[in-house]
Amino acid sequence: MKHDEVDFFLKETEAVRAEIRAAADAVDWDALPGIIADRAQAGAPKTGRVPWAARLWEGLAPLRMRPVLAGLLGGLLIGAGAMYFILKAPAGRAGADGAYYASGEFLDRAELEMARRNTLDYLERSQYMLLDVFESADEGPVVPASLRTERARDLLQKKKYLNAQLERLQMAKAKALCDQIEALFLELSQMDDDLAAAELGKIRGYVEERQLLLKINLVKKELQSGV
Amino acid sequence: MSDVPVRRESEAAEIAALLDRVQRGDREAFMTIIRRYQQKVFVMAYSILRDREDALDAVQETFLRLYQKAGLYRPGRPFQGWLLQIAKNISIDSYRRRRRTKLDHETSRPIEEIPIAVEDRAGDSAASDLRSAFSRSVETLAERQRMVFVMRHYNELPFNEISETMRISVGTAKSLHFKAVQNLRKRLAPVLGMQP
Repeated sequence: MKHDEVDFFLKETEAVRAEIRAAADAVDWDALPGIIADRAQAGAPKTGRVPWAARLWEGLAPLRMRPVLAGLLGGLLIGAGAMYFILKAPAGRAGADGAYYASGEFLDRAELEMARRNTLDYLERSQYMLLDVFESADEGPVVPASLRTERARDLLQKKKYLNAQLERLQMAKAKALCDQIEALFLELSQMDDDLAAAELGKIRGYVEERQLLLKINLVKKELQSGV
Repeated sequence: MSDVPVRRESEAAEIAALLDRVQRGDREAFMTIIRRYQQKVFVMAYSILRDREDALDAVQETFLRLYQKAGLYRPGRPFQGWLLQIAKNISIDSYRRRRRTKLDHETSRPIEEIPIAVEDRAGDSAASDLRSAFSRSVETLAERQRMVFVMRHYNELPFNEISETMRISVGTAKSLHFKAVQNLRKRLAPVLGMQP
């Protein structure tokens, strides 16, 4: 470096140093530590600084100059928002119209109600069936034997589906009664068309002995009072 | 035998003790550190920002950051270098922000309001022109070159302290300084009538 260049640099850097010294002389160095300590202990926000939102905007400033990146970022935000609403919506709609959703307690109550109605229906049909047997035993067949057999089979079938409900819902009394009736229907379903009145008499005796019609009435009342 | 290493060790131990107290919320310890280093931090900030108020903001910011991050100081490291590094980073952030704001401001102004030439200083003297040309040339240096030049000539820091502050080797600091001076020569050649 030539002599005049060195001179120039020395002169200029000395000028800047003088400027720094002049600026420093104007500062109250005794007060500054207290001011800073107060701010530190108060956890004060930075004075003369840009707030965080503005800083964020400044951080995003390059995007303003890059439409593609800005577009991508915008797309990501819109996509994330759309996914949020899509994933959230079904639960909201289900809850709104009740078409898809029911609580466990409600389902239990509905199942119990169904079992009660099915049992009542079964006992009522059984009652009619047994009354037919009683009449037939007294006065000869009031319904064709084939129809009686068909009804007996129908009731046996119905009882098969009823069993699961009666067991699961602990309707023990109704189940015990239905089981006894089932045994009778099993015999009736296997009787020949030319079954003698004596055979029907035996069944009638069995029903009377066990007071099945009375029991059916009692259980029916119990079930009806629970409806 | 020199007693410099012994003095450095005792200073380091003292600073470590003060920082320990600062972490426990000791106001007096914090103020002791501020009193000891505030002017050095100011010179660093002013050298970069060339504005008294901005430099004072940077000083406050530097010590507030020290207060929050006192626990991050590793005792083996020179404290002054670490603190000046914080000051340098804060000042550079502030400088960049200010420059961007200025640019935004300029681009948003009507063309007739933007000055076509550099502002005239009082007296419009040749010396004033040279000074502003020099300042502009220093500002346009690459950031690391500018930092080394500023620390070496305005802060009058030795190369070993520059290397500590910038976390570079002494050799790199010297090399950056050489490049800075070369670039300044090139940029100022037309003004000074020198051979680039």
